Amino acid sequence: MNAAPTGNPPTLQVMRYDARRGTLDVIVGERGGLPREVLARRAAEAMRARSFICHTVDDDALLGADEICFIPRADRCEIVSIHTNGWRRHHGDHRRSLVEILNDLAAAVARGTLSFLDDAELAAVSAEGREIFACTIEDTTSLAGARAAVAQVLENQQVGDDARRRLELCVSEATTNMLVHGGGGGTMRLRLVEGLLRAIVADRGPGLSFINWTDEAGGAKQPSMGYGYKIILDNLERVHLHTGDEGTTLILDRTI
Amino acid sequence: MLHTRVETGDTPVIHLEGEIDLDSVETFRWAVTDALRGATEAILDFSRVTFIDSSGTGLLVRLCLDSQAQGVQLRLRDIPPVVDDVFKMLKVRALVGEEAFVD
Repeated sequence: MNAAPTGNPPTLQVMRYDARRGTLDVIVGERGGLPREVLARRAAEAMRARSFICHTVDDDALLGADEICFIPRADRCEIVSIHTNGWRRHHGDHRRSLVEILNDLAAAVARGTLSFLDDAELAAVSAEGREIFACTIEDTTSLAGARAAVAQVLENQQVGDDARRRLELCVSEATTNMLVHGGGGGTMRLRLVEGLLRAIVADRGPGLSFINWTDEAGGAKQPSMGYGYKIILDNLERVHLHTGDEGTTLILDRTI
Repeated sequence: MLHTRVETGDTPVIHLEGEIDLDSVETFRWAVTDALRGATEAILDFSRVTFIDSSGTGLLVRLCLDSQAQGVQLRLRDIPPVVDDVFKMLKVRALVGEEAFVD
């Protein structure tokens, strides 16, 4: 792929191939890129092989992604790619590469840690269990309060120090991400769901993108190098993500 | 909330106390940048840091690499477990080099 950056940030695209219905639905981003029959055929191959398969795509006009990953999950296949829009890491840039980020996301889907939700799934998962705390996150001074709330809930539930620290860290990463990328604020809710603590972090921003890639070499304002999601995916049992034009919701689950 | 205090001298020591997150990265950046002015080496003391996330870690990595590129050594000492856990998750030692750590 040799295209120059377009000015638009790289974007995430997730599609879902349903083998029983033969449908291909867009879960995140926009349809486009490779023809439907090619995507369906590759998805069916991955499902037959019961194996997570990545294809390198070198025709920018077709897809705008360096890789596209096909991840079989029971009777469906998740198809995950990042449209790079020509952006790539260069010498001296210590951000994680977009391919690294994509592979981490795809691997998390493959091992069942990460699931992308459509609207109906978001409504169902968000309603499970019992709400025990809610707050708004309006600016960076709210971050410590969100962490303290998690700490208090976990202390009340007699959760050990290690699990408490990891959950506090993950909530901090999710709420920070919301402030940086989610239109400047949103809400954080905590729910108890059958032995799980579930944190629901929701914003009304423009949807998940890799906007920091339009900032040369990470730029002075790029604080996280794309590591926030890595921390979240490495420290939680399950993460649900819903993102679109009307905002992003990240749902974090950890057994307590 | 992050508090910083700088011991001046040939090798300035920047003492950090509190939480390093998105709310405090500018305080962190300012303290380090200011202490490094005119120095060839500086020490960051983490012993009183109670929290750090990827925002703080990302800035730290950038400060270390930028300093190294300018021939200035920024060394990190007294890393508490709560910080070291995050450094391990993000492979900070590999990014900035073992020599940046004062054991």
